[in-house]
Amino acid sequence: MTTSTMPLPAAAPLRRTWYAVKGRSYPRTVGGLREPSWIFYDIALPLLGVAAFVYVYRALGAPPHFTGYVIMGGATIAFWLNVMWLMAAQFYWEKHQGNLELYMMAPCGLVAILLGMAFGGLLATTLRAAVVIAAGVFLFNMDFTVSSWPLFLLLFALGLVALYGLGMFFSSLFLLWGREAWHTVQLLQEPVYLVSGFYFPVRALGPWVGMAASVIPITLALDGLRQVMFPAVHPGLLPLAWEVAGLAALAVLFTLLALWMLQFMERLAKQEGRLSFRW
Amino acid sequence: MVGRALRTFAVATWLGWQIQSNWTDPLLFFIYSVARPLGGTLILVFMFFVVAGGRRGEMLDFFVVGAAFWPLVVFAMQGVAWALLEDREHFKTIRYVYTSPIPFWAYLVGRGFALAAVGTSATLITIAVGILVLHVPFVLPLDRIPYLLAAFVLGIAGLLAVGMILAGAIFLVSGEAWRLPDAVGQALYLVCGAVFPITVLPDWLEPLARIIPITYWLEAMRRGLLPPGGVRSLPGMGDGAVLAALALLTAAAAVVAAVVYAAGLTRARQKGILDAATGY
Repeated sequence: MTTSTMPLPAAAPLRRTWYAVKGRSYPRTVGGLREPSWIFYDIALPLLGVAAFVYVYRALGAPPHFTGYVIMGGATIAFWLNVMWLMAAQFYWEKHQGNLELYMMAPCGLVAILLGMAFGGLLATTLRAAVVIAAGVFLFNMDFTVSSWPLFLLLFALGLVALYGLGMFFSSLFLLWGREAWHTVQLLQEPVYLVSGFYFPVRALGPWVGMAASVIPITLALDGLRQVMFPAVHPGLLPLAWEVAGLAALAVLFTLLALWMLQFMERLAKQEGRLSFRW
Repeated sequence: MVGRALRTFAVATWLGWQIQSNWTDPLLFFIYSVARPLGGTLILVFMFFVVAGGRRGEMLDFFVVGAAFWPLVVFAMQGVAWALLEDREHFKTIRYVYTSPIPFWAYLVGRGFALAAVGTSATLITIAVGILVLHVPFVLPLDRIPYLLAAFVLGIAGLLAVGMILAGAIFLVSGEAWRLPDAVGQALYLVCGAVFPITVLPDWLEPLARIIPITYWLEAMRRGLLPPGGVRSLPGMGDGAVLAALALLTAAAAVVAAVVYAAGLTRARQKGILDAATGY
């Protein structure tokens, strides 16, 4: 018996990208609901760390708005960890599970896969950040007043685009790396929390260190959000308009850089035979 | 039996060291080993100076000692759990290690001890930064050395015991098991007086802090290294009482660890999930 094969109609590029984004975000949204234990780990776990730093400020007898600094920092950590572990380093895990080769063969490109990871992870991450802030308000009496919601949303959106652009940029490096990827992400935690001012105003590090740290989008985003939330007391690093402009520039820069680096590193990884190099 | 356990411990420590360190050159590994803990310490230092307006204070000394010894907590306790997880989920070697003629518990303790050794470098660097940069008034009179040594050894034993309790649980946990060591680490960071005195905790949480050996270990290290009269987590207890409580709770933790580990292992074998990789 012979079987006739009929080629599947080719989807338009945009539609194909959309399918890929939807497909890759599926395990992180719908799939995540099938293993609800992540809710405990993603929500209770960060609350413990945030609570510890709140108590540090209480032990120091700090004014109440410092509690707000910690809560905002704790909420922002969710986005940083999501970008670093579930986007940048994800290709390392995909190598182990044998998925990376499948992604490379699929006619959608790695960018669509990364966008799927980003959208899929964003839901859980936003929930986690919201719960941290809610806990800050209800458990630790965090007091804040948003001076301008449009500015707040603009800073948040620009910060997210720049941050996920940075995540895509890092993911290109992890195409090439093996075990180093895991260790590198580990390394990019406390030192980044320090220089980006997750738990204190970044200006305390000095203007030049603060400016240098602004290459990490979260530094400007967090400082800008604090300026909007604690306008009377927060010593900002730069005027808000400059921080918005800086974030917009970083968003464009990292997105373009990520697109170029992904192509470059993919080619390099293939040439050096390290694309499926697991260790 | 004892000789075999000791040999297993030694080989597992060597293996753990290789796994931890041979992914890069020694200099980069050293930077990697100290960067995170030092970053954590400096966060606390800046939090302190932002509030204190640049002035020194006894809380800074409290922070530095707690932050210096915290990497040992993380590495030793989590090291045992990570060893089990890595062998089961990542390297997929647990069945070969388990079926070899060695005591598996000694293997896990050895792997945890290797990470504790990695953590020691961070401890030493943090103390050095404390002395040279932050001018923390460390004192080390000769008559305090036995106290410090006893507290240190008991503390490491307590940490490994807590790690074995965690391993006993991980035998049975699937799916999100990778996050369990971090979760326990975060919980201990909150309740053990690592970076603030446990007297700051809410009344309902303080009793929990008082039954964990790590609380007494960190307190004993502060009492051994800092001059008397500073900030204390357990202000109502004398130095000897702190050490005695540490010894007692470490012994209790070891007994609990033996029971939980054996129960977890037995149940995992009964369910056939000892080597079941659950994905990550």
